[in-house]
Amino acid sequence: MKIVRLLRRFGIAAALLLVLMATACVPLPTDTNWGHVTLAGDPQQILFAFHDRIVLINPQDGSVAQLRDADGNIRYDDQNNPRTWTLPISPSATTRFYSTPLFTANNMYAVSYDLKLFEVDFANARITNGDAGIAISGHVVTDPVSDGQRMFLGFSDSDLVALDMTDLTSRLWSFDTERGIWAEPLLVDGTLYVSSMDHKLYALNAETGAELWRVDLGGAIADTPVLYNGSLYVGSFARKIFRISLDGQITAEYPTTEWVWGTPAIVDDTLYVGDAAGWVYALGLSGDGFTPVWSRQAATRVIRATPVITADAVIVASRDHKVYWLNRETGEEIRQQNTDAEILSDMLVITPEDNANLRESLLIVSTMANDKLLFAFSLESGDLRWRYAR
Amino acid sequence: MDIIVNVFVTLLTFLYSVLNQDMVLAIIVFTVLTRLLLYPLTAQSLRSSRAMQQLQPELKALQEKYKNDREKLAAEQMSLYRQYGINPLGGCLPMVIQLPIFFALYGAINFALAATPTHLLDLSGRLLVPGLDNVIPLNSTWLGMNLAQPPNISVSPIGFVLIGLIVVTTWMQMKLSMPPQPKPAPGEQPNAAQATSQSMTTVMPLMYVFFGLSFSIGVSIYIISTNVAMITQGLLTGQSKLSYLRGIPDDKPPVVVTARTESRKTSGAKALKDAKTSSDGKNKASSEKSGSKAK
Repeated sequence: MKIVRLLRRFGIAAALLLVLMATACVPLPTDTNWGHVTLAGDPQQILFAFHDRIVLINPQDGSVAQLRDADGNIRYDDQNNPRTWTLPISPSATTRFYSTPLFTANNMYAVSYDLKLFEVDFANARITNGDAGIAISGHVVTDPVSDGQRMFLGFSDSDLVALDMTDLTSRLWSFDTERGIWAEPLLVDGTLYVSSMDHKLYALNAETGAELWRVDLGGAIADTPVLYNGSLYVGSFARKIFRISLDGQITAEYPTTEWVWGTPAIVDDTLYVGDAAGWVYALGLSGDGFTPVWSRQAATRVIRATPVITADAVIVASRDHKVYWLNRETGEEIRQQNTDAEILSDMLVITPEDNANLRESLLIVSTMANDKLLFAFSLESGDLRWRYAR
Repeated sequence: MDIIVNVFVTLLTFLYSVLNQDMVLAIIVFTVLTRLLLYPLTAQSLRSSRAMQQLQPELKALQEKYKNDREKLAAEQMSLYRQYGINPLGGCLPMVIQLPIFFALYGAINFALAATPTHLLDLSGRLLVPGLDNVIPLNSTWLGMNLAQPPNISVSPIGFVLIGLIVVTTWMQMKLSMPPQPKPAPGEQPNAAQATSQSMTTVMPLMYVFFGLSFSIGVSIYIISTNVAMITQGLLTGQSKLSYLRGIPDDKPPVVVTARTESRKTSGAKALKDAKTSSDGKNKASSEKSGSKAK
């Protein structure tokens, strides 16, 4: 009987061990998200929304910013510790921020993936509409947009809604798309240009939500269109970059190697964009269509972040852990920095004009690893200035 | 492993695109196709385990005869396996080979369904046929539930139904494919392999309750489809029988092992004969019941 029991236990243990071993060999989708950086405050500092919290970072040294009163004095808590600008929003373990908070004249609004909208008193780093926030009806992976009266929120699984800024529980209108919205809408002169995962770019009347036109781009659109010289430029999962007129006609297109997920950057009649295979494209816009200036595979994995353009360089960041400085004229690599962590977030540039305490412009790069969430590199030299970890 | 996952992701996405962009239908067809592909391995595994079951009386006789000489016992057992053309690992090897394929399928379903933006990004570069990009992202809503998420049983009763179906189909699949074994005679030790398989029939469905609660609904549908496909396959090929559900063993079980040729008989056969004559009557009884005498 002992042998039987032993064999039975061994059989079950062996089966479980095999299951574990096989699982370890199979690539499974990762479920961490990427953080979002933006400038906030006066003088401007780095507001960083990641995982389940939002913090304000001092750009001089990467420390968490201290809360100050109107006279600039540091504020202290009951235990006489200096208060820092940290907003731990963790009503549930599933809270994740996939979007940059929205700022208005008086408030900050943060929208989480798990259907919550938080209204934040920025000066005091406090949620003002209850710790649980306002329940919203869809997952949000894109930045909210506002025209002052309305907040436009795209849901990742269905529609775009306009909320009344004076009462965020009041929905003014909604516009349904079949597969949801994963990119921040572009608001220009009362018109919303909305990229949708249902392959279509929509133009909507921002006041009423009425559709003005739509154009099918043959693949999901996860990037925000860029308006430049009277045309819209946007990439799609159809492995193409498109130029679209403001009445919804495709006027030019250019093939890429893989999906285009990141929003293009356009400077001096040249469009720069990365794709999911790590290629970077520089396309001239002065002619009838796209004129290739250069293209090269700079990285080995996806480039999602919008390129940062300086006087001499195109800076791209990749999921292959690296940040690349490329020659703006030729695309040749000038330098690279390894962060040892995946980079999917858009980068941020902060200059001495934004914050007078800075002596040089910094390139802020956010990764997906908790032990190295933010890197600050000198924009010009590429040297590491500081690092922020949770 | 990546390449297998990529092939499966591509196949699943292709099926989705041709089956009216219906993800559940795509998973079911995908399952049927993979079961057909894996049929030779499954059939070999079943044949092998049946053969091992039928040789149990002879193996028991050898164990009795050489209970004090492990080396000799091992040699005689191997000799017996050779004589009947059985690979003692033939039952589990095909199953082990199937495991990475199962997990690749599991990975493929999760990649294709892409529950979050990061998941969708993980999908890029995995589609081996460029034109399939135009159906991304796949519609993962089914009966008001997200196929990419585990069932929320507090919200939808369909989650309960799914988990129930997983348990029932897993149990049925195992029960239908295992011929009931006669109870050991009084004083006789139960057969170890038989005891293990019986406990697995109980433990596995319960483990699947946990799987059903943790895995995405898409994976649960895959597990149910696999079980139904295996039941159907077993019934069609005669490897599974409805009578096993009621504990009725075969009247004349199919003979799946035969000695290869007279001339190839080795000392193992002689040892077997010796063992049979020397063993007491209890082994003989069970041997005759199982009808596994080599022809």
